[in-house]
Amino acid sequence: MSVASAAYLARRAAQKERVRILYRRALKDTLNWAVHRHLFYPDADALREKFEANRHVDNIETIDRMVAAGEATYNKWRHPDPYIVPWAPGGSKFCRNPPPPQGIEIIYNYGREDNV
Amino acid sequence: MASVLRSSILRHIRVPISGALTLNGSDLIAVRSMSSHGDDHLDKQEVISRVLDVVKSFPKVDPSKVTPDVHFQKDLGLDSLDNVEIVMAIEEEFKLEIPDKEADKINSCHLAIEYIHNHPMAG
Repeated sequence: MSVASAAYLARRAAQKERVRILYRRALKDTLNWAVHRHLFYPDADALREKFEANRHVDNIETIDRMVAAGEATYNKWRHPDPYIVPWAPGGSKFCRNPPPPQGIEIIYNYGREDNV
Repeated sequence: MASVLRSSILRHIRVPISGALTLNGSDLIAVRSMSSHGDDHLDKQEVISRVLDVVKSFPKVDPSKVTPDVHFQKDLGLDSLDNVEIVMAIEEEFKLEIPDKEADKINSCHLAIEYIHNHPMAG
């Protein structure tokens, strides 16, 4: 029926990676919207159910369309102010206090400045 | 007189600080690092124990099978979506932000421990 050629498998693998990344982002987004854990757990379960319902789809074109639709839904529901770890890009501590360049030292010469 | 001579000499000489401090007992020249974060890597045993705790508290996992070398999908019989959930739980435990491409590659406990141990900001 379906010849498992390398191109087909490569395309399926790329689709699976897209699905995993979409699930990861959607889960983080769910956590952004539902801050408290007791609200997050049912929402995460509902998200998982949505992914599980389409688990056994085989047709590549259908899968492509479903992944595109999922990504469109994700883009529509993205939180405007997501939680980002402070030191990561977009966080509040990003690029704050960068380490000074190498080889620069402070010379302590108290009381022995030039204008003695 | 001597003070004038001294100051005129000192005007032309810069004497740098040479502090051969010992760091952890070893004879290194101490680099006075001024960044207040990200310098301390975690202890490997601590990383291993925390990662194993996270994996064991996952509801679909049998805690007795979890070892530091276990593969999430092959040994524990988990799904790729479960893998994503475990990586997210590890991110929350260590207060990390793992990029999507890197997080996709973490498939086993060993990889997770390696990644966290080598990450400079692991909390």
